[in-house]
Amino acid sequence: MRRLFLFAPALVVLALVQAYFWVPTYDDQLRRNNARAGTYIEGSIGDAKFLNPILNSDTASSRITDLVFEGLLKLDEEWKLAPALARSYQVSEVAYLGLPEGVEPDTYVDTVRAAIAKSEADWVENVVQVRLTDPGRREVQATFENTENKTETRAVDLQLPPRLEFTLRRVDQDLAARLEALLGQHFPTRWEPHSFGQWPDEVSESARREQALAAVPLLEHNPVIEFRLRDGVRFHDGHVLDASDVRFTYDAIMEPNNLSPRRADFEPIASVQVLGPLHVRVTYKRLYAPALYSWTMGILPEHLLGVATRDEGGMRDAPFNRAPVGTGPMRFVEWRGDELITLEGFPGHWQGRPELERFMFRVLPDLLTQELEFAAGALDSYVPQPHQVERFAADERFMNFTANRPGYSYIAYNQRKAPFDDPRVRRALGMAIDVEEIVRYVLHGEGDRVSGPFPPGTPWTDPDFAPLRYDPEAARQLLAEAGFQPDPDGWLARDGKRLEFNLITNNGNPVRKAIMTIAQQAWADIGVKANTQVFEWAVFLKDFVNPGAFDALILGWRLGVDPDMYQLWHSSQTGFAKLNFTGYEDAHTDRLLERIRREYDRDRLASLTRELHRQIARNQPYTFLFARRVTYAMDRKWRMVEADGGLVPVRAARSGELFYHMRHWRKVGSGAAFSARTGQ
Amino acid sequence: MINWLVRNSFQRLVLLVIVSIMAHAVVHLAPGEPSEVDPTNPRMKAEDVARIRAAFHLDDPIHLQYVRWLRDLASGDLKSFKDGQPVVEKIGQRFWNSLPLFLVATLLIWTLSFPTGIHAALRRGSVFDRSATLTAYALISIPGFCLAYLFIMFMVNVVGAPVIGMRTFGTEQASTMLQFMDRLWHLTLPALMLALGGIAVLSRYVRAQMLEVVGQDYVRTAIAKGLDRDRVIYGHALRNALLPFITMFGLMLPGLVGGSVIFEQIFAWPGIGRLGYEAILARDFPVILTINFIAAVVTLAGTFISDLLYAWADPRIRLQ
Repeated sequence: MRRLFLFAPALVVLALVQAYFWVPTYDDQLRRNNARAGTYIEGSIGDAKFLNPILNSDTASSRITDLVFEGLLKLDEEWKLAPALARSYQVSEVAYLGLPEGVEPDTYVDTVRAAIAKSEADWVENVVQVRLTDPGRREVQATFENTENKTETRAVDLQLPPRLEFTLRRVDQDLAARLEALLGQHFPTRWEPHSFGQWPDEVSESARREQALAAVPLLEHNPVIEFRLRDGVRFHDGHVLDASDVRFTYDAIMEPNNLSPRRADFEPIASVQVLGPLHVRVTYKRLYAPALYSWTMGILPEHLLGVATRDEGGMRDAPFNRAPVGTGPMRFVEWRGDELITLEGFPGHWQGRPELERFMFRVLPDLLTQELEFAAGALDSYVPQPHQVERFAADERFMNFTANRPGYSYIAYNQRKAPFDDPRVRRALGMAIDVEEIVRYVLHGEGDRVSGPFPPGTPWTDPDFAPLRYDPEAARQLLAEAGFQPDPDGWLARDGKRLEFNLITNNGNPVRKAIMTIAQQAWADIGVKANTQVFEWAVFLKDFVNPGAFDALILGWRLGVDPDMYQLWHSSQTGFAKLNFTGYEDAHTDRLLERIRREYDRDRLASLTRELHRQIARNQPYTFLFARRVTYAMDRKWRMVEADGGLVPVRAARSGELFYHMRHWRKVGSGAAFSARTGQ
Repeated sequence: MINWLVRNSFQRLVLLVIVSIMAHAVVHLAPGEPSEVDPTNPRMKAEDVARIRAAFHLDDPIHLQYVRWLRDLASGDLKSFKDGQPVVEKIGQRFWNSLPLFLVATLLIWTLSFPTGIHAALRRGSVFDRSATLTAYALISIPGFCLAYLFIMFMVNVVGAPVIGMRTFGTEQASTMLQFMDRLWHLTLPALMLALGGIAVLSRYVRAQMLEVVGQDYVRTAIAKGLDRDRVIYGHALRNALLPFITMFGLMLPGLVGGSVIFEQIFAWPGIGRLGYEAILARDFPVILTINFIAAVVTLAGTFISDLLYAWADPRIRLQ
C-alpha cells in the first residue's frame, strides 16, 4: 500500500515528462520541416462559422471564404471595382416613362423622338433608343392592417398601360428632370399607377398611391449589368464555372430558408438572366449604386449545392458549409473545430498555381499565447496591441505593416434634446477635447484624426478638410453665444439650468472608457458638467441607443468600402433601433445621401461624398474622434514573387490591404539569397 | 433499497425539470440577442432580422420556446444558431477533447495529493509539512491563469517546447507513436495547471483527515499491540480516513462537462468549457441550454453515485 502511494504518482509524472523528449522543439519545426516553409500560419481569436460566402458575415469566416471563393468582381489595389471571374462588365440602363393622359401612344413616341433628335444637349447622345412598350402587368405587395390589427400583405396586380422605354448607355439618375426640361408641356404631369389594379378594401387611397408609386414611379429606372464570364474557370473539384452558377448563387441568397445575411444587398434585383453559358444579365428594380459592390461576393457551385437548396429546405445545414468548394486560389483541406482550418494552393486556378502552398488558420483565443507563438515562429503574423507596436517595430526579425481600420470612434449627441439641438453647443463640446492627445496617449499613436463621416484613407473623404481644432477658449465663446454663462459655482448655465448631461458608453472597451474620462475632464475645464456611466453592451443597446434615450455616448462605426451612408445619416432613419440614433436631420444631407445611392459614376460619386463629408462635419452631429490603425508584424522571411519571377519583400496593396497579393507569397529559408533585382 | 432507488431517481428527475426550466428562463430573460439578429450590422434590414428571428422562434412565448427546445433536443434536430451544426454532435466532439484533459488532471490530483497529505500528517510540524502547507496556500491564492502564463512563457522562451493547442504543427506525417507522445505532452501543462489548485486543496483535506484518524484510540491500540507501523497507518488508519473522499469521487463528475473555461482559453484547447463560453458571448441559446442541461444531468447522477458509494463503503449508513 505504501509503495503504491509512491509509485503511482512517480509513474504518472514520468509518463508525462518523458513525452517531452518526443516533441519537436520550435527550432525543429522551422528547420527540419520543409512543409513549414511553404505554409503561412495565421492566428485568430475566434473560429469560423460558415465557410459559405452567402451565409457568413463574421471576419473569421470571410477570411477563409475570401481565399476559397471568388466573386464576379473584386476590389483592386485602390478599392476600385475590377473584373475577377467576370472577364468584363458593363452597366447600362433601361428607363420607363408613363404616358400623359389622353395622348395617342404612337404620336407621343414620335413627339419625344423628335424632341430628342432636335436637342443639342450633351446627355442626348446617351440615349440609344426610344420605343413604346406593350401593356404589361406588375405585381405589387399591398400591406395593410387587418381587422385583428395585424400587418397583412397581399399581392395586387397592376395592369400597366403602354409606356415609353428609353435604352441608355450609362445610368442617368437625372433623366426625369432632363426629359421634363426637354419636353416642356408634353411631359406627363399626372401619374397614378394605383388606379391600374384592384386593391383590398382595407388599403386606404393614400396608401394605395404610395405603395404603387414606390413600385412604378412615373420614370422607372432599371439599371442593367451585363457580365461576360471568363472561359475555362474551374471549381476545385474540376467542374467548369458557368453562368448558371451565378444565377444559382443569386437564387440561394434570396431563398428565405437560407437566412442569408446578405439578402438586403440583392433585394433590389429584378431578374438575373442567363443569356449564354458565359453571359449573365442582371436587371435592377431601381437605382441602387452600392449593388455593384455586392458582386464581389463568392460564386457557389450549383452542381454541389443545387440539391440541398431545392430538396432539403435550404443549405444552412449542408455539409458543404464545413468543406467548401470554390474557384479561389486556395483549396479547402481540413477544418478542426475551434482549432485549425487548413487550405492549400489550387493548381488549377485560372491565374495559375499560387506561390503560397498552404494557409493555416489557427484559433488562439488568447492574445498573449498568440504573441508567444508568433515570437517562437509558430505563427507568421501577429497584430501587436497599440502599446506593443514600438517594441515589435524595433525587432529585426519582423517587418511591419500599418493601415487604417475601416471605421472610426466618435462622441454622439442626442439632437432631439436641448441643448444638443444647437450646432454651436455640439461644436463647442468637440473643440474642448484634445483628440491629438487621446491618440498619442491612449492609442500610443496608433490612430489618425477623423474630420467627418468618411474615415481617412478611403477615396470618399476630403483629405484637405481639416478636423475640428482644439480650442477651449473658442469653445467657451461659442457656448456664451448660445446663451450659457457661468453660475456662482463656476458651471455654465442658461436660464438657471446648468449645462449638465450624462455621457455613457459600453463596458469592456478600455479605450472608450479612457475617452470618457478625458472628455469629462476637458468639459469640466470649460465649465460643462458631464456625468459618466458604463453599461453592459446588451443593456446599452436596448435601453439607451435603440430608443434614443441618452444625452451623449461614445461609440464607433465599422464601415465597408461602399460610400452609402443612408442608414447612418438620413432623416428617415431616426426611428426605434435605426442607425441614425442621434436624430440628426438635415435637408441638404438627405439630398446628398439620396444622390450618392443613385450615382454609378465613380468621379461624380467622389465629389458627392466629399460634399457630404463637409456638410456633416459642419453640423457636427458627432464629435469625430479618430480612426484606429492596425499594425501587422510579420516574419521577415516572407517574400513576394513578381510576374517576372523576381523575389521582392512582401508589399501591401495601395489601399493598405496587406493580404491583397497573398497568393504570390513565398517564404525563403534563413539566409536565402535575394534576387539581384531588388538588391535588398 | 429498491424503494430508495426509485424514490430518489424520481426526485432527481423532478429537480432536473425545474433546473432546466429555470435555466431556460434565465438565459432568455437576460439582456442581449443572438449575434445573428444583432441589428447593429448596417447591411441588415429590419425585414431580414425579423425573418431570422422567426426562423429561430425568438418571438414565440417563452414556454413554447422551452417545449420546442426540449422536443428538438430529444429528436436530435437541435441546431446551433451560430453555425447550423447539430448541437449534440458539437458537444460530443468537444467532450472527447476535454475528456483526456480531465482524466490526466484528475489522475494528477489524486495520485499527488494523497502521498503529500499523508506524509505531512505523519510528520506534523516538520520542514516538509510546513513547506507543503506554504505551497498549498500559495497555489490556492495565486490565480491559475497567472501561473499558467508564467509556465507557458518559461516553456516557450526558455525550453523552446510547444505547449499551445492539442498538438504540434507539421507532425501529421510523423509516426503514430510520436503523435501519441506529442498529444500527451500537450496535455501535460494544461492538465497540471488544472490540477494544481485541486492538489493544493485535496492534500490539505487528506492531511486533516489523517491527523484526526491517527489520534484515535484504535490506532494507539494497534501500535501498542506491536503491529507494524506501516500496517497501522496504511491498513487501519488510512481506510477510515478515506471514507469522506469517496463522496468526492461522485461530485467530480460535473467537471467532465463544465471543462475549464480559463485554461481551455489560454491553451487554445477546443474543449467544452470554451464552447460554452463562446456560446454565451454569442447568445447561442441552443448550445448554452444543452450544455447546462447535460451538466445538470451529470451533477445529479454524480451525487446519486456518491450516495450509493458511501452506503457501500460505510456499513453504518443504510439507504431506506
